[in-house]
Amino acid sequence: MRLAVLALVLSAPWSLLPAQSAPYTPPHLPPPHGFRVFIVPDMEGMGSVVDIHEVIAGNEGEQYKPLTSPDYWDHFRGLLTREVNATIAGARLAGARSFVVNEGHGGNLFANILPWELDTGAILVRGFPKPLVMVTGIDSTVGTLMFTGAHAGPGHPGILAHNFAFDTFTVNGRSLNEVGINALIASEYGVAVSLVSGDDAEIAETRDILGGAFIGIVTKYAVGRMAAITFSPTRVRRMLRDSAAVAVRRAMRGDFKPFRLDRPYHVAFALRRSYPASVVAGLDSLNWTGLQKTGERSYSLTTDDARQMGFLLDAIERVVLH
Amino acid sequence: MWPALLPAQQPTQVPPPQPPRDTTPPEAYYGVTEYQQARAKLEALMQPHGFTVYIVADMEGLAAVVRNATEMRPEARGGHDPTHETFRRELADEVNAAIAGARAAGATQFVVNEGHGGTLFRNIHPEDLDPEAILIRGYPKPNVMETGLNPKVDAMFIIGAHANARTPGIISHSYAFDSFTVNGHVLNEAGIAAFIGGEMGVPMALAAGDNVLTAETREMLGDLETVTTKIAESRSAAAVFPPAVVQRQIRAAAARAVRRVRLGQIKPLRLERPYHVAFCTRATFQPWVPEATANLKGVQRIVADSTGRCFTYQADAAEDVGNLLNEIEWIVLKP
Repeated sequence: MRLAVLALVLSAPWSLLPAQSAPYTPPHLPPPHGFRVFIVPDMEGMGSVVDIHEVIAGNEGEQYKPLTSPDYWDHFRGLLTREVNATIAGARLAGARSFVVNEGHGGNLFANILPWELDTGAILVRGFPKPLVMVTGIDSTVGTLMFTGAHAGPGHPGILAHNFAFDTFTVNGRSLNEVGINALIASEYGVAVSLVSGDDAEIAETRDILGGAFIGIVTKYAVGRMAAITFSPTRVRRMLRDSAAVAVRRAMRGDFKPFRLDRPYHVAFALRRSYPASVVAGLDSLNWTGLQKTGERSYSLTTDDARQMGFLLDAIERVVLH
Repeated sequence: MWPALLPAQQPTQVPPPQPPRDTTPPEAYYGVTEYQQARAKLEALMQPHGFTVYIVADMEGLAAVVRNATEMRPEARGGHDPTHETFRRELADEVNAAIAGARAAGATQFVVNEGHGGTLFRNIHPEDLDPEAILIRGYPKPNVMETGLNPKVDAMFIIGAHANARTPGIISHSYAFDSFTVNGHVLNEAGIAAFIGGEMGVPMALAAGDNVLTAETREMLGDLETVTTKIAESRSAAAVFPPAVVQRQIRAAAARAVRRVRLGQIKPLRLERPYHVAFCTRATFQPWVPEATANLKGVQRIVADSTGRCFTYQADAAEDVGNLLNEIEWIVLKP
């Protein structure tokens, strides 16, 4: 009895706090000395990756425990790091001087790259939760944005195709994949996407969304959701290095335009069918300003600032990954 | 004396009730593309000129492999032997030896298709493989061991192959079958690959595996290049040749194979259309395997057969037979 009273007293102050924290300003990274490249490495679209066991550490939450195989997972972290290094090497050849690498893959809670093996010229953003998730740390000092190892959205015939926690995600009626969503957030800072690597389904889908301007690298051809015809890691790194150099040169010339949509942004999304009801309940209890429930698992949000969409994504990831 | 030291007879264990098995027909493949589409994707990557070798990479026939339960299985799938990793490297080494030999004889492009299901077709460490090779990995994939095979391929190799089901070879088996024939010809896994390739005019030029495999494959396909990696003493014991020697032999045989294909000395396997396929699923499988197999399109149970595991299938295209194999594989391997 006494314990119960104590628990009540202790928990009372928490319930008085607002459900949503104060508006967040991303921390400022050290200013760049020269042209800055922002790289978002994901894992599903890397060369050679085909299976979920290769990209999951198993510590992300209860439902991910059986989805890992440590021998494979460790292996692919090394390959990931080398893909990023190749991209940086290419960009550096073309004159880029500052590199920010923001972990874009949720495995091991956004800590996949091996920091000791990463190019020493790069600032690494790792860990979870992080505001703006895949583009945390972006600002108007960034010269160009690159996505490596990206994957297609749900419903597309790509390797491990998915889109954050959603079955559908549209802005102003246009379906966006992860690259599309983050390109829109980056456009708030006037930053454009110059390079995307991933499987053939991902590149085709992203061309539909962003247009044909960016440099697309097909690392593998999907023949199933978990099987692919893939190029060797060496060959993928060579393609990344060569293309990153071209991408930086063209970005310096202003060849790539930020991805713009009309304001206000009408965001509509549906949570994945496969998620348990607790995820839906968790999202309902966020009391997110402006977030409207439009169906059993669907929501909408109208905003003038794409970053609000990014902050919401972070909140949703926190619900999903605990 | 010894039996007395053993514990008293174990109480007979009642197996726990199995949950009902999901045997939805293979139309419900999770995201797997049609085999025609996979073939078009690989075909688009083929060099217009030059010589392409398509290598099926299995594991049971590798040098030194003798035991399925340990050496062939990763920890995640019940194996407990760290040497599994070593055998994954041996696989890459033997495939690389074949590539090196073929390249020395003038082959210019290499496609490697993972053919061993123990790790769901992800055995080769991608960075161990020759960097110029295109690798097909993962599961489910259309036409399992012949994914993407197309007429632009000039020759097929099979490395680490094993002998047919019910033969005294090391870990002998054939897909999910106890027997598999096309128009009365007995085919092992190498033979099935040669049959599907043969219709496209692609010859099976090199098979490496134990002595049972090499002998039976020569009988099936004629005078192709073979490398005997070990002499089987039982299904799980063999006199093995040193891996380094085997790799050297594969290298030499691959070069000979490419030269002989260019000279037209190794011919594709062609059988008469329509193809009458007859097969029996493994006796060791649970009853739901033949039940689900009987539901596949075009498959007919042989009524005269009392076991209920034997079926016939008729096709006009060898790739349809490949697709059938994939559907049966899916029934068995479906996670």
